[in-house]
Amino acid sequence: MSTVARGLLRVEHIMGMPIVVDVRDEDVDDETVERAFDWLRLVDETFSTYKADSEISRLNRGELAVDDAHADVREVLARCEELRLETRGYFDVRAAAPESLDPSGLVKGWSVDRAAAILDRGGIRNYAINAGGDVRLRGRAVPDEEWRVGVQHPHRRDRVAAVIAANDLAIATSGAYARGDHLLDPHTRRPPTGLLSVTIVGRDLASADAYATAAFAMGGVAGPRWAARLPGYESMSILADETVLTTPGFRVLLAGDSYDRPTQHERPS
Amino acid sequence: MRKTISTILSAAALALPVANGVAAADASAATRAAAKKKVVTSKFVGPAIQADRWGTVQVTIVVRKTTTTTGTKKKVTRRITGVTSTYPDHTDRSVYINQQALPILYQETLQAQSATIDLVSGATDLSQAFVQSLQGAIVKARRA
Repeated sequence: MSTVARGLLRVEHIMGMPIVVDVRDEDVDDETVERAFDWLRLVDETFSTYKADSEISRLNRGELAVDDAHADVREVLARCEELRLETRGYFDVRAAAPESLDPSGLVKGWSVDRAAAILDRGGIRNYAINAGGDVRLRGRAVPDEEWRVGVQHPHRRDRVAAVIAANDLAIATSGAYARGDHLLDPHTRRPPTGLLSVTIVGRDLASADAYATAAFAMGGVAGPRWAARLPGYESMSILADETVLTTPGFRVLLAGDSYDRPTQHERPS
Repeated sequence: MRKTISTILSAAALALPVANGVAAADASAATRAAAKKKVVTSKFVGPAIQADRWGTVQVTIVVRKTTTTTGTKKKVTRRITGVTSTYPDHTDRSVYINQQALPILYQETLQAQSATIDLVSGATDLSQAFVQSLQGAIVKARRA
């Protein structure tokens, strides 16, 4: 028999970041949540570039051929290549070091999407997963009708720049303020300029995260412009001069009290 | 200088008054059903953890402990209803409005807001220290 409790908030440090699962269902099957964490730990074992015996480390040392790698590894690497082409090379698993693969930029979102599918299959209806600032929402933040997600303010640690209210959504933010994330423009191998952060929302976290990384790497204002044209995804970008650019679809998601200030709207030219 | 905030993972402001209201209603219903429900809300403070250049982070959680007694059976559930944390303070930057035209995009000026929210996107800084302190607070809450 599994333990049934009312609501559940669990945090674990996996893949070098805190992963929070916040379930707001009346009755929570602990075993389902445990399966989701088991999956995330397995992903860490398989994909970590910090673990010598992970498949990615073995690929990088030439001890394992891509064709012999686990199906999940092949799937992730194939999607990384698709994304590299979609983003004109701005999302690149070889951005940090040309001679080695580091797919962690996709693995985080991809593994959280899979973890969410595990929770869905286990019958959990209302939950949020926050993996080091990348978020996947389902259902309601019971007792509230919607989840309220703050977008980190780039200069003030104790404040948010905007609040998204949503039920089913993936939200990813890339920014220069993330410690340890030395995001580089893969074409120049230098940190991009002109942008403080890019937030992308949409169906799946894997794509949202990769798009946010790519748009941030493009810098301002090319990144926001590129992101504004992504089908099925909406975005908000904060430029270095503190201008905030949002797509019309993103504004719809903003909580009522988020933007009660005058807006300038630039029409398509 | 330090500032106490209640943004990250905080459902406290909205959830608590509602929860107390429900608890009061439950109590009268519970008397009739011969089940006793006791709700205690307590705060637990986690350890202060050093977070590199940002200084120290300390997390406080608010836990609602519900003890339901039916005959000799006792069921205890705990729920985190609020999380607050202290971070080093940062100075504000001046605000500047860019008049540059951009197609398909709305444009505004960055503002800082303190809102009641469930979680934060883009906050990976301090995360390890945050989790360590949070876990410390949760361990304390479980023993209480």
